[in-house]
Amino acid sequence: MQYGMIIDLERCVGCHACTIACKAEWEVPVEYNRNWVYRMGPSLVGEEMASTYYPGLCNHCSDPVCVPECPADTIEMTFTHAKTGETTTLEVAATWKDPFDGTVQIDKSRCIGCGACADACPYNARYINPDQTDDVSDDGKADKCTYCKPRVEAGETPACVQTCITGARIFGDLDDPESEVSKYVKKGAVGIEVNGGNLGPNSRYYGKKKDMDLLMATHTPELADMGQVRRRAMLASLMKPAVKKVKGLGLLGLVGALAVKGFCNEDSEK
Amino acid sequence: MAFNLTRRKFLQSASLAAVALPLSDAIASETGIEPSPFEPKGTVKDETVVGGVCEMCFWRCQLVGKKRGDRLVKLEGNPHSIDNGSSICARGNAGVQLLYDPDRLKYPLKNVGERGNPKWKRISWEEALDECGSKLKAIEEKYGAHGISVFPHGSSAKYPMHFFERTVGTHNVSEASFFQCRGIRDTAYLATIGMAPGEYVDMPNAKVIFLLGGHFGENIHVSHIKQYIKGLQNGAKLVVVDPRYSASAAKSDIWVQIKPGTDTAFLLAIMNYLISNNKHNAEFIDEYGDGFDEFKEGITDWTLEKAAKECEIPAEQIKEVAELLAANAPNVSIHPGRHVSWYGNDFQRQRALACLTGVLGAFFVKGGWVPAKTPKVGKTSWAKKEHDDEFNLNMDEEEEPLFPYSPPGTPTELIRDTALSGKPYPIKGCVIWGQNPIQTIPGQEKMKDVLRQMDFVMCVDVMPTDITMWADILLPEASYLERYDLIKTGTQWDFADSHQQYIAPRIPLAEPMFERRDQVYITNEIAKRMGYESDIPVQSNKELVEKDLLVAGLTLEQIIKEGGIHIQKGQDPYTVPEDFEVIFYNEDIEDAGFPGIPTYQPVEQPPKGYARLLYGRVPVHTFNRTQNNVWLNKSMPENPVWINDAVATALGLKDGDMVGFINQDGVKSRTKTTVKTTPGIRKDSVYMAHGYGSANPLMSVGVNAGVDDTSLISKITVDPETGAHGMRNNFIQLIKDDKILAIPASV
Repeated sequence: MQYGMIIDLERCVGCHACTIACKAEWEVPVEYNRNWVYRMGPSLVGEEMASTYYPGLCNHCSDPVCVPECPADTIEMTFTHAKTGETTTLEVAATWKDPFDGTVQIDKSRCIGCGACADACPYNARYINPDQTDDVSDDGKADKCTYCKPRVEAGETPACVQTCITGARIFGDLDDPESEVSKYVKKGAVGIEVNGGNLGPNSRYYGKKKDMDLLMATHTPELADMGQVRRRAMLASLMKPAVKKVKGLGLLGLVGALAVKGFCNEDSEK
Repeated sequence: MAFNLTRRKFLQSASLAAVALPLSDAIASETGIEPSPFEPKGTVKDETVVGGVCEMCFWRCQLVGKKRGDRLVKLEGNPHSIDNGSSICARGNAGVQLLYDPDRLKYPLKNVGERGNPKWKRISWEEALDECGSKLKAIEEKYGAHGISVFPHGSSAKYPMHFFERTVGTHNVSEASFFQCRGIRDTAYLATIGMAPGEYVDMPNAKVIFLLGGHFGENIHVSHIKQYIKGLQNGAKLVVVDPRYSASAAKSDIWVQIKPGTDTAFLLAIMNYLISNNKHNAEFIDEYGDGFDEFKEGITDWTLEKAAKECEIPAEQIKEVAELLAANAPNVSIHPGRHVSWYGNDFQRQRALACLTGVLGAFFVKGGWVPAKTPKVGKTSWAKKEHDDEFNLNMDEEEEPLFPYSPPGTPTELIRDTALSGKPYPIKGCVIWGQNPIQTIPGQEKMKDVLRQMDFVMCVDVMPTDITMWADILLPEASYLERYDLIKTGTQWDFADSHQQYIAPRIPLAEPMFERRDQVYITNEIAKRMGYESDIPVQSNKELVEKDLLVAGLTLEQIIKEGGIHIQKGQDPYTVPEDFEVIFYNEDIEDAGFPGIPTYQPVEQPPKGYARLLYGRVPVHTFNRTQNNVWLNKSMPENPVWINDAVATALGLKDGDMVGFINQDGVKSRTKTTVKTTPGIRKDSVYMAHGYGSANPLMSVGVNAGVDDTSLISKITVDPETGAHGMRNNFIQLIKDDKILAIPASV
């Protein structure tokens, strides 16, 4: 199974509903985004005038460059297939690619906030959320689109898909040939592959030729300088000892559970 | 960006609040352990509250709220909706940021400084209402009811507007939605087909969609956009007429890059071509047309070549559009437009659009102009008292209207000129409710002078918009999320689906915070103080809604049980009403002294060195109303000025350069914005989004963000038939590094 998202640029009107719904759903700080909409043009593509949009988000790549860069200590994590119940155990750092649904996820508790993954991502799909600090990292935690995993597991569509006013965002299993997303791939939906790379982005775009040409010409990224990414990651991991990372994990978990209650109390006192 | 720190505190997320909890509390808790305290939980498990009706714009999508404790954390489309469904736009999604905006008006305020440069003192509601009541009563007694002017906008402004108009009895009401927006469209269609057209085009089932200036994608109304995209997906051809390569032009099959102001010439040439080549719908015209022969005769001058020259487009392209329309008639959507206050020749253009629809027989047919059959609900408000036309500024001495096709109310310029001259009578009171005349009405300095000479100015709003700086008393209103209010009605958005109707009253999703109050409370309290207590029609917003629902046999209780929306069986809209007619040549218009056949009136051209200022919308803002919303501000923090790339090169400008503006009257922009160079705009025009550049420092996010286009629209044009404004007849030069850049005539 590989979750993927299609953005149909023939339907997209560039309204930004997707980006704002995501902000509301996931409490993304004002300054940051888990997804975005850029407008390109009007400019000439060959002889033709064109203008279209780049509604971007994490590509949950088939071969993500961000995952291997995470310097956090690894743990054994057991994954369960949502449908079959099949399990598998992998050794993962604080970010990984889910072996069953193909999404790329982050464990906020173990993230040391070094930003290596964000630096590595050629799509700028990750950022460090400064609101999320703890004993492990006072710099914040890496954050990005999860393909709304908690919503999807609860049987809902991703927040951006739900709100999309024209049905331009379609979510589903790219490995299922009958899925709507697979049909789009057959029709020619493609990901924005990095220049000279082979990451296999699973957020894919479909549109008129001139619009796709404009999208690719303006937003095909380069691979990051991994040497630099790694030096930074190494330094960060040295500065944040493993023991500190473990400390307080359980306790903070408890605090989290109280979050809603405490929040409400605070509000009602106003 | 200093505001971010305070904002973050204000908008504290659940997880942040958690970090602030004493650890001991956490340990003592017996609630379960969550693996990651930082991961926001999403809203799936939050409580859902129903009954919201959006008013981030005026399309009014139906909402549900996601609530965590007392706090509304997210808005979504109501899944029961047959209008917007579970979709809402960026603005709709950002409604929670309006609700909790720390800059929102919180308490009644009294201006102890001066108008335009206020110093605010918090006062009690009692004091504020006493002041409003006594000042307005004094004006009424001294000058008469007509001494009070009203500038309303939005659903909450209807009730107070009716109080002043119907009960107190002033004609001097200027609604922005009419005189600066769609009023011309409505009266032009009334004079042609006897109905205001709304935006009732059956786009999902059309073979051609024809947009004159419509820029969907930049302009967003959810179910309308659904109709548009469904039409395109179903294979409709799209014709977009616009001097700019708009968001719609980018999806078009034919983009007509017309010279600004010449649209009527273009439309007349299409119609003349169709009629003279026998490609019009003769059968339809025989049955429903009136004055067709005079019309046909009257437009024969308009050859393709003549229009091509006037519009600066190829004759071949006009023919191509005409042929496309003819080949697909009558299943064509000739869009009536919405904001049509463009050039002061707009009534004639709107008449021409209605006539084109008639020439093609595209009324009440699949894909044509088809009004939805919506359910009836009540319209409870203040009772109409007898008020004669003695003080109606739109009536001359012979009791003939000056602007016979004026939309309801009194043309803005008549009110302002009267206020400034004191003739024929003084206008000394001003009630501004939800409207921002400073950034809505052209001639900002004139508006300020009008306000300066008032004895009393009161504003009711949710945000400290620019107009609120001019108030003596400023009252904080409950937002659309905190009050019972209007009942939105409609039908399923695609007429190809089974016919259904819906009734969705606005039910609050949150309690008003601080001292915010709704319109029925505020109006009634002022009415009591002005001696109109016995005329009060309802005691609360809730009672108003209950009464109006009763007409449809419904109650709020039942609607809530039904998930916030009542849905019932609808009716087929594709039947031509018996008395329907299309008045091609309108004798009444001619008798009133205007052309009875749609007529092209050329508009003033830019003086040498200037470009015409065009404006439009962006999808994340509703004029100035949403400028202070942090999420929306961050999405499009300024309004770049579009300049033709060849012109930009000649001026030495590149993308991202900061520029200011000066117009033909020497008015300079207060702020600057960035340059966007593109081949997608004509060389004689520049374009920017409307609504930016707020001047009020209390709008801590929106203040000075981008450029206020209205500030540059100082030359006032009035459409002669309607008295509504034309706002695209101002011309500007750019200022970079204090140097004025003249726009080259040719590059």
